Amino acid sequence: MSDDAAASSAPAPGSAPPRRRILLALGPPVRFLLRRLAMVTPILFGVLLFTFVLVRLGGQDPVVRLAGPTASVQQIEEVRAELGLDKPILMQFGIYVAKVAQGDLGRSWLNNRPVLADLRQRLPATLELLFLGVGLGALIGVPVGLTAAFGSGRAFDQISRIVSLFGFSIPTYWLGLIMIFVFFSLLGLAPAPMGRISLMAVEPPTVTGSYVIDSALARDPEALWSALGQLVLPVLCLAIVAAAPIIKQTRAIALDVLATDYVRFARASGLSRRDLRRIVLRNSLVPVITFIGAELAGLVGTSSLIELVFAWGGAGQYGLTAILEGDFTAVQGYVLYVTTFSLAIFIVVDLLVFLLEPRSRAS
Amino acid sequence: MITRRRLGQTAAAALAAPYLIRPADAQAASTLVVAATRTPGGFDGDALKPNTQNVVVQTYEGLTRYATRQSPDGRVRIDASRVEPHLAESWTSSPDGKTWVFKLRQGVKSFYGNELTSADVVWGWEKSLAQNRTGAFIARVSSVTKVEAVSRYEVKFTLSGPNAIFLRALTLYTPSIYDSTVMKQHVSADDPWALKWLDTNTAGFGAYHLQSLRAGQDAVFVANPNYFKGKPHFERVVYREVPSAANRLALIRAGQAQWTEELTQRQIVELQQDRRVRVEGEEGTGHASVRMNPRFEPFNDIRVRQAILFATDYDALNKSVFEGLGSQARSIVPPMIDGAFPDAWVFGTNIDKAKALLAEAGKPNLKITVEYSQIFFWEEQLCIQLRTQLARAGIELELKQITDADMRARTAPNRRDLPFFTFLDNPIVLDPIYALYLNAHSAGASNRNGYNNPQFDALIDQALIETDAAKRLQLARDAQRLHTTDATWLMTLYPGSFEAMAPNIRGWVWQPDLHERWVDLTVAR
Repeated sequence: MSDDAAASSAPAPGSAPPRRRILLALGPPVRFLLRRLAMVTPILFGVLLFTFVLVRLGGQDPVVRLAGPTASVQQIEEVRAELGLDKPILMQFGIYVAKVAQGDLGRSWLNNRPVLADLRQRLPATLELLFLGVGLGALIGVPVGLTAAFGSGRAFDQISRIVSLFGFSIPTYWLGLIMIFVFFSLLGLAPAPMGRISLMAVEPPTVTGSYVIDSALARDPEALWSALGQLVLPVLCLAIVAAAPIIKQTRAIALDVLATDYVRFARASGLSRRDLRRIVLRNSLVPVITFIGAELAGLVGTSSLIELVFAWGGAGQYGLTAILEGDFTAVQGYVLYVTTFSLAIFIVVDLLVFLLEPRSRAS
Repeated sequence: MITRRRLGQTAAAALAAPYLIRPADAQAASTLVVAATRTPGGFDGDALKPNTQNVVVQTYEGLTRYATRQSPDGRVRIDASRVEPHLAESWTSSPDGKTWVFKLRQGVKSFYGNELTSADVVWGWEKSLAQNRTGAFIARVSSVTKVEAVSRYEVKFTLSGPNAIFLRALTLYTPSIYDSTVMKQHVSADDPWALKWLDTNTAGFGAYHLQSLRAGQDAVFVANPNYFKGKPHFERVVYREVPSAANRLALIRAGQAQWTEELTQRQIVELQQDRRVRVEGEEGTGHASVRMNPRFEPFNDIRVRQAILFATDYDALNKSVFEGLGSQARSIVPPMIDGAFPDAWVFGTNIDKAKALLAEAGKPNLKITVEYSQIFFWEEQLCIQLRTQLARAGIELELKQITDADMRARTAPNRRDLPFFTFLDNPIVLDPIYALYLNAHSAGASNRNGYNNPQFDALIDQALIETDAAKRLQLARDAQRLHTTDATWLMTLYPGSFEAMAPNIRGWVWQPDLHERWVDLTVAR
């Protein structure tokens, strides 16, 4: 994605003294970043409002659950007042926004803990899973997509299309269960799907929150081995789901690039296959990175299902449980986190593209 | 740049990785791993969050408890008719039944080493009354107005009138008996009952103590080293969150968990054939019912309600919905409670009679909607079967699924606006009057279909203060006859209460709150 407005405000290179030139070179990305960040606040506000209203209109009423099975009418109303749900909805929203602005996402009704603390504690688990899963998906997807495009119509292409169709159509939840059935129940190769570390391993001291990194830092090979083992199935599961669209998209992008005049010219000039590949890869990179970024943001929801299946205990599982149980504050917090995460990913991707793609700066 | 060689290496590593991972080693013998639906939302018996009840019963115990007896099959079962001393050693009551003095067992210590005294009992009851939630409800139904310390080991309960539920109510986990010495260390001006601390801690005199909690992952409990009945078999219990039912099943099969929560009937049947798992069951007290609210058309007509009961094929429901494991319900009071009276139930399947009743009511082609949720595994399946069955009597049944939270909210005392819906309530006190009051008295918390019969209410109100056992039993029978004849409940079956455990686990005793007690469990040699 380019930002023409930001780019066009930069004076043509060469017209400024050397020192200023460095500043100018630095200037556009920073200005670009600031412009993007300015857009974040209204988007977050919109999402906040939307979620707040939606959660309340969804027909869920957690008050009865919280008041307990023996509650009288009066007790139910007491609980409602305690949660502030007896106030007009606009007032409730005002109070909530004021709190969020101060960094307070409220307390979960189901466990009384601050939502922000809960999300922060579970975030490393989710990020570890998400980045490894999508990373592996990209490592598989991009080369397969490129190879398929180069051999368009041949056997490899056909097979990769069938495989990616499989990845597209398979329900994530089911895939997770099947993998557990095969690798844990049937073959006994994978560890029990009971979270991020074996019950027998001692949890490493928290530094980053990622068990893999923390156990490596603590030089605890047993914990590291266990954490890695627990990661394999969920990461594979996510990678399969992530790789399918990446294969398809990379193939389509590379085919477009292959059809361009400059590739045809390169081919006609007798460039080696290897050089041709490099040209195609370099020119496909920008849309592919953009797509992988979008995938990363889009798979936050999918990964929450995987978390649930593997009892991962991450932010996704937290959000999903909150939705099922009607824990309003936790749902709002979760949606806010997903939005912030997606926006952050898009900004990073935009910035990467901005830096990688000379056209977006020079046009 | 990704080269072909690198791609090959990556793929090989990805494929080989699962084969390099060893399953977790066998658990230490003294650790019990429970595959739980989720980690507890809190540890306050007065503010029930998801899975709170499952664990507070392990950490807080009552002054009394139900007696148990050995059944011919070797299993230990609750004897609902007898209550015996537990944390209390003995008790006396005044002739009018309004004053009770309990003598506490001496030398009972909490995990923290503090001895149980009357001050602990008083503190817990005061906490419940101040919070005005579950414990306060228990206080109300057992007519307790005041709890005070008489001496270090004696505590006096004052009741507003004689109450037959009282001793049974004291078996419950709430109002809990806390180690008040510890609790008081965690109170503050705006939190006089240390509720914040209770979100992540326990301080009871029970067999287990919460050692650590990782919300969303696990709660680890350790045995109370000072437990007054001796050391439990399992020194450590890992209560591990495994949200997927299929995985809970896989874990118990693989021997990675020794106990599992909430399996469906289908899974239970599967496990009954599986040698790697031991399944035990009891009829239980919760019965799958479809309730009709007589405030709504056409359920305001008793003939319509009775026609629905006659049109239902109970055996077929048992086979298709409950895998044949259920037993038929014929009263609102479960058979295992003394005083259950099934004789008034006369609604065996009779399609002609159902048609005749509908014709008489002027509704030969009735169209109704049943609303159901997913709180209980059987709801949807039962409704689907019911649609076919009712069609034979000319009743067209439409199915409408609503959310679980909606089901709870719309059947709560402040709304009760569902005309026809599925539900299961489980009376936690094994007493017929309690069950009747809870489910069908106009002031009952679980009278979800708004049954309102002044004659019924009068019988229950009278039974609540009746001290003569025979008269009380008669009142319970009369009330059941009235409720069954009024036909506002389509009583179907007791699905049964099943537990799946590792094959060497012994000692499970069914409890009215449906939660196993870890202290009961041992390992067969």
